[in-house]
Amino acid sequence: MLLSPPRARRDTTEIRVSTAHASDVMRTLHDDPEFGFDILADVCGVDTGDHMQVVYHLWSAASPDWLRVIVDELPRDDPRVPSVTFLWKGAEWGEREAYDMFGIIFEGNRDLRRIYMPPDYESFPLRKDFYLADDAPRSPGQGFRHMERVHDPSTATPDLLIRRSKLR
Amino acid sequence: MTADATRIRSLDDPTLFVDTPATIYDAVPPYPPRSEREAEFYHLRDGELLINLGPQHPSTHGVLRVVLKIDGERVVDLDPVLGYLHRGVEKICENGDWHHAISNCDPLEYVASMFSEAMPVLACEKLLDLEVPRRAEYIRVLAWELNRIASHALFVGWLALDLGGLTPILYSFIERDEIVEMLAALTGQRLLFNYLRIGGVNGDLNHEFMSRLGDWMSHAAEQLDNNQKLLNENEIFVRRTKGLGTLDRETALRLCMTGPPLRATGIPYDVRRAHPYSVYPELEFRIPTREEGDSYARYQLHLDEARESIHIIDQVLHQMPDGPVMAQIPRLIRPRPGRAWIAIESPRGQYGCFAISDGSDQPFRLRIRDPSYFNLQAVGVLTPGNLIADTMAIMASLDPIMGGIDK
Repeated sequence: MLLSPPRARRDTTEIRVSTAHASDVMRTLHDDPEFGFDILADVCGVDTGDHMQVVYHLWSAASPDWLRVIVDELPRDDPRVPSVTFLWKGAEWGEREAYDMFGIIFEGNRDLRRIYMPPDYESFPLRKDFYLADDAPRSPGQGFRHMERVHDPSTATPDLLIRRSKLR
Repeated sequence: MTADATRIRSLDDPTLFVDTPATIYDAVPPYPPRSEREAEFYHLRDGELLINLGPQHPSTHGVLRVVLKIDGERVVDLDPVLGYLHRGVEKICENGDWHHAISNCDPLEYVASMFSEAMPVLACEKLLDLEVPRRAEYIRVLAWELNRIASHALFVGWLALDLGGLTPILYSFIERDEIVEMLAALTGQRLLFNYLRIGGVNGDLNHEFMSRLGDWMSHAAEQLDNNQKLLNENEIFVRRTKGLGTLDRETALRLCMTGPPLRATGIPYDVRRAHPYSVYPELEFRIPTREEGDSYARYQLHLDEARESIHIIDQVLHQMPDGPVMAQIPRLIRPRPGRAWIAIESPRGQYGCFAISDGSDQPFRLRIRDPSYFNLQAVGVLTPGNLIADTMAIMASLDPIMGGIDK
């Protein structure tokens, strides 16, 4: 069921699951008294540059660690995951935000519409292929940023365009 | 139900209707429903009416717009519309370096910004495996608890103001201003402190701060009791908050609520104890809870928490160690690639931050989890069935801050 063995670093344990098993895993974590993860601390989307992820953070009185569940390997062109609103209704707005910012479709969320951006807005601002204007704050150490180097996205190669996570 | 154009009766000729182009500011949106819930909400039954509250309404605590579906004076349903203050802080943080993120996150929670500016700081420290000097940790806790009291004092004033009482907010501001001036002496700013740094704090305690703090500590508890007297047994206040907006434990957990609204239902979930950070394990304090889960319980809980905070400040001042207030770290910070999740207890609940580093000096992703964003969802559950005027009382008792909600 897990894509890779659980990893623990400092006070967080991390597991990765695929889309197909996501809702089963979340249901088990929530309902099974042995786990008892009844507080959903956060739900958010991540664009790694290669694919999308949905990341949940859970808390349980039974364990001292935070649990991070990463639903991994969502394709960038059509990211879809099952919604967890049947367990935590409060995840609704979290999922709406992830939809608004990344375009991730949460199947089963009854209210999946944009929450911050206007209704006629079409792009997804937190994706890595969405660029800020050139006068955005820049850091001294980064040197040339991709955005500045390829000023015209239409002539740039996709590799240069997207900042990719070097994280596995 | 959608409307392409809105028909308005002409002022010149009452039999004449004028078609005006529909805009997104109309009650019924001029586009087809985007979700199941939206279709359901904008379908009106007989006798139902939509009214628009905000975004410039003083009792929505910022620029929150709420579309209320009412039947007579009763609220049937409501639909909060966010985004009027959206600045894209997460995106801006990805494009600046780690130090920029501190001042970018500062205005998120603008009445308690010592907490929101801690987000990138603590996340980056966790990515760096950095140990912060103990004196800096104590100063942080001192600043956090002072800010919590200022925020809670303001909450009480706002709640009373939304119920029509003008006096309490004046007293709240006296208390808050004392703390804000104190923190201004410490940090140089009144509201957006920009005081925490990756690896410590910006500047040690100074004489003016300590003398103001000493003055305030001598009458803080007394002042709190006096303020409380004004409202605790005020009949109008009690009758408009007791039994109103009642939440039970399961609903509160299902709604992902944290902070005072959750603890007012009886669940002692406080990140300071549930998952200790900084030097909280060394300090002695209770987690106040209430069983009723209504607006009045939330109000009482805020007062209890302020009292606990005074107790914490007292201990911090007695245990404050000597030493440096900044760790030795380079100016340019490049955390190793990795992920970090941190959470702290802000006055409104659990503030969380999920940071990803890709090895460069900019955060690859900086997700801020704001407590008022998740707590605000409860108005959709709490208000239906109540009067329009009570919508404000319930919303104020959840203590939303739009700066954090809209990010």
